[in-house]
Amino acid sequence: MNGAMIPDQPMREAALAWALRTREPDFEAWDDFTAWLEAAPAHGLAYDEVQFALDEADAALELLPEPVHAPAPAPGYAAANDNPPEPVIGWLSSRRGWLGGAIAASLVLALTSVLWLSPSGERLYATAPGETRLIALKDGSTVELAGGSRIAIEGEREARLEAGQALFTIRHDEADPFVLIAGEDRLVDAGTVFDVRLSGAGVDLAVAEGAVIVNPKGQNLTVTAGGRAVRRPGGRYSLAAVDPQAVGEWSRGRISFESASLAEIAAELSRATGRRFSSTDSATRLSGSIALGEVRDNPRALEALLGVRVRAADADWVLEAE
Amino acid sequence: MAANPLLEKAYLAQRERLLRFVRARGAGDAAEDLLQELWLRLAAAPDPAAASGMAYMMRAADRLMIDRYRSAKQAGLREKAWAEAQPGLADNIAPAPGPERSIAARQQLAAVQQALEEVGERAAALFRRHRIDGVSQRALAEEFGISLSTVESDLRRVYARIVDVRRTIDEA
Repeated sequence: MNGAMIPDQPMREAALAWALRTREPDFEAWDDFTAWLEAAPAHGLAYDEVQFALDEADAALELLPEPVHAPAPAPGYAAANDNPPEPVIGWLSSRRGWLGGAIAASLVLALTSVLWLSPSGERLYATAPGETRLIALKDGSTVELAGGSRIAIEGEREARLEAGQALFTIRHDEADPFVLIAGEDRLVDAGTVFDVRLSGAGVDLAVAEGAVIVNPKGQNLTVTAGGRAVRRPGGRYSLAAVDPQAVGEWSRGRISFESASLAEIAAELSRATGRRFSSTDSATRLSGSIALGEVRDNPRALEALLGVRVRAADADWVLEAE
Repeated sequence: MAANPLLEKAYLAQRERLLRFVRARGAGDAAEDLLQELWLRLAAAPDPAAASGMAYMMRAADRLMIDRYRSAKQAGLREKAWAEAQPGLADNIAPAPGPERSIAARQQLAAVQQALEEVGERAAALFRRHRIDGVSQRALAEEFGISLSTVESDLRRVYARIVDVRRTIDEA
């Protein structure tokens, strides 16, 4: 960007004041605003920059965790184990070089409290619908847990997805691969970013980076970046291509469907937004991608997005084909 | 697409004003083209009667300019990331885009988080209630037992901080 064009502080403040005013739904003083813009070409640039930052902040707010208060110890936790869990914050600060200070700071805030610590050392994490959580493992790997999901982590290299969906960013170690148990399947990483979803039918695996080996002692199926494997009834997997950029996009406030029934879409939306959606229609199938923030704010927005009818019934938003 | 005649009439009546606005917003030589794009957006509005309002059209023009800035900026960032990745690349393989994108999202999240920490508890709480829970400023004044102008100035401070933090990330 041209150095001479960078707006100074008072101009930025004025631009911010205008941006906040124009963002109000009942703003009318467009002619006054035009006059301010015409006073100097740099005004428009300063205003764009401010609006851009505010839009980005809005998008980030969707991901913002609730403020962290000292978590109450989970019931049974003290009895189960006398050793408190590793002080993760201390670990993070020692890894700041790798993560970058700012990112580490956000991770600390997003860190979840352990729900349950069993005598075997297994940690159970769970999320409510509409909530997401980031779990940092000691070796630098992370697990982002989607809404309405549950995962048990044993040690650092083994986990069991019990419900819902999670995005794994795993530090690969040839000698000690990360193993995920999902339903009846065993997924072994080979240097990897991958997303796993448990649904009624079974496991849905999508790989963004590296590779994952499904059931090394069974099918021994290797799914590489850009690959998706969906378990069909009977235990067979069907393979499909996936946009690696879209893998785990729920963690960035968006979800995609591919030929999913309205009933499946309703269940997914409930889990992701924390609002209750339902549908009895398992015949109508749709594909597409939805920004969750909009749907959370206004469930009726789905009408335009999916071309369906959205009806409020009791506590549910019911999806119906048009 | 058959445009609504009332909308078309309203648009034509405001055309000069809109043109002047997009020019002032920095449209330059592209002003006429942008107005064409604006018309397409207006014609596609779900409620033509609402879209015929002057404020609606001005807002749509403003949004159009913001979107234009966004795509120009993102194109610039992509080029920069690509250029920076080149020296390390032996064989023309593009770097995997996924992690960069999620890191950018995290940075943005960190920016908001940092801003909220720096403005103090009350302002941060007001901001959350306003932006996340959608509570109006007036209701917030009541809830927190403070004046409306205090709510306004707290919120403005948070926004200013977010813009500043965002700026330091961009410049880093």
